[in-house]
Amino acid sequence: MLFRVGSATRLAFVVLSATAVFTAGCAHADEEVPIEPLVPAAGRVDPGLGPGTRALSSGPGYKGSPSWSPGGDRIAFTVDGYVVDKPTSSGDLRRWTTTDFIAEDTEWESDDTLMILGAAPPSGGKEISSSLYRTRAGEDKLELESVEKEVSAIGPDREGLIFAFGGGPHESRLALTRGGGKINRLYTRPIRGHVAALSVSPDDEEAVLAVRPPGDRETSGLHEFDLRKGKGREITRLDGNQEILGTPQWTEQGLYFVAGMRGGSVDSDGSEPLYEIYRVPEEGGAPEPAPGVGEDFVAASIRVSPDGKRLAVIGRLDPKSPTNLYVLDPLVEDFTAVTTNEDMEIKTGPDDLAWSPGGKSVAVIARGTLSTEPEVRADPADRLLRDFYNLYEIPVGGTPR
Amino acid sequence: MRDVVFWLSGAALAFLVTAGAFLLLANLATAPSEKSLNPDRAPGDSGHTLDLQLDRERLASLEPLPDQSLDLAVENEGGEQLSHVNVTLIVSSENTTLSDSRYYRQTVETLPAGGTANVRFEFDLGAPEQPVARPPAPTLEPSREILELRATTPEGNSTIRTVILPP
Repeated sequence: MLFRVGSATRLAFVVLSATAVFTAGCAHADEEVPIEPLVPAAGRVDPGLGPGTRALSSGPGYKGSPSWSPGGDRIAFTVDGYVVDKPTSSGDLRRWTTTDFIAEDTEWESDDTLMILGAAPPSGGKEISSSLYRTRAGEDKLELESVEKEVSAIGPDREGLIFAFGGGPHESRLALTRGGGKINRLYTRPIRGHVAALSVSPDDEEAVLAVRPPGDRETSGLHEFDLRKGKGREITRLDGNQEILGTPQWTEQGLYFVAGMRGGSVDSDGSEPLYEIYRVPEEGGAPEPAPGVGEDFVAASIRVSPDGKRLAVIGRLDPKSPTNLYVLDPLVEDFTAVTTNEDMEIKTGPDDLAWSPGGKSVAVIARGTLSTEPEVRADPADRLLRDFYNLYEIPVGGTPR
Repeated sequence: MRDVVFWLSGAALAFLVTAGAFLLLANLATAPSEKSLNPDRAPGDSGHTLDLQLDRERLASLEPLPDQSLDLAVENEGGEQLSHVNVTLIVSSENTTLSDSRYYRQTVETLPAGGTANVRFEFDLGAPEQPVARPPAPTLEPSREILELRATTPEGNSTIRTVILPP
């Protein structure tokens, strides 16, 4: 009997202990508190653009044409047609032009001189050609100094800026600025046609130009211009209705540009690729699709890295894919996706991407997919990121060789 | 036989006590992170004292025309009565070159603890003129209207809601 009672007690103790342990193990230490939804990514970055991405702007405004200062500590860009710049590490915005000025492009000539391509707004339906202005950091007064009128394209080099100017469709001329945005060299030999875009080779000795030949409707000519000798030549011309989109780029492996049928849109959802990346050797010849890029790829814009070894590319793997940032290594024909986002719209304008001076990151402009319903956020408008086009710095790593 | 049962029970009890101790320790270690999961706050957003409730259906029915109205509820989620709660509405455009932001203000004189006050704004949501200084873009689209609603008290309590209306 004693055995039975003792055994039953021990058994009951074991069962009670097990129940207590089980209950204690499964119960929460505190009462569960409902968690309110997080506010939008103010000060943080949407993970859709990849790890390490950093927001360089916030709030409303149609932003474009990012440009890093040579030292890499400031970035300038256009917002709704005016120009601002800010330190890459803080939000202290500095406005360079007023709202009654239409800025198309901006480039740093040096760490304290910003060059701006733009014009006063048209009045009375009369179209006004763009002019090049210079403005210097550190001056209290907001003042633009005119450098040249009827300027059609600008591009930075390591010591200054190169620009094309000329009023008519039949010929253009080039000039270089050095030291405070002043014209240092004016090339007397004209270029036949209208220079629509230009950029400089990595060694600063040559320039590649996208030219609309006299009498043509399309920017179909690709020219090379020797900046030491002041002489240029046509390298290739596209057939039919093909046109060059944006700015051609000079890499160590030849000249690259985006081209396609005139009138197409890089955002069209057709079954055929609309714009492709082409390559032409420096010595000239027929353009060929860029090696390493898939044949279905729809290109929007390209930019060569500061060392001339890589191309940053904005585009889509095929017409139905989302827009993303890629990097092409022309030497080994390696084409790598830097972002794999599905829900951010990366802006596809020809000037809407820029390499940092060190070549370790690229600035792009993106926003979240637009909603057809009102969006409610718990932040002030000027701190919102993905609701508006904003600048992001996306790390792309160094040159792998 | 008794010894065998005794030792088996003892071993089982020791196992369960040890396992229970580990489970208790694990619970103690994870408890603080649950408490730290608070929502991020905007600057000036002082916490849970004030809240603004908006009717999504009413927001969706707003049109880019004059004489629009919007009802919202201001909630005092704190334990003390609030007085002189200022509720402001700023109507602006996504296009930052347009400087015609409109400001509206209502005041809730007293808001008891746990109470709610309804506020109505009647405002102009007329489409602004097309921007002069907007640069040419591949896909030029109409600017969206932005409503910024803010409730503040003299004591520094505040909350904000930003509404972005589709074009």
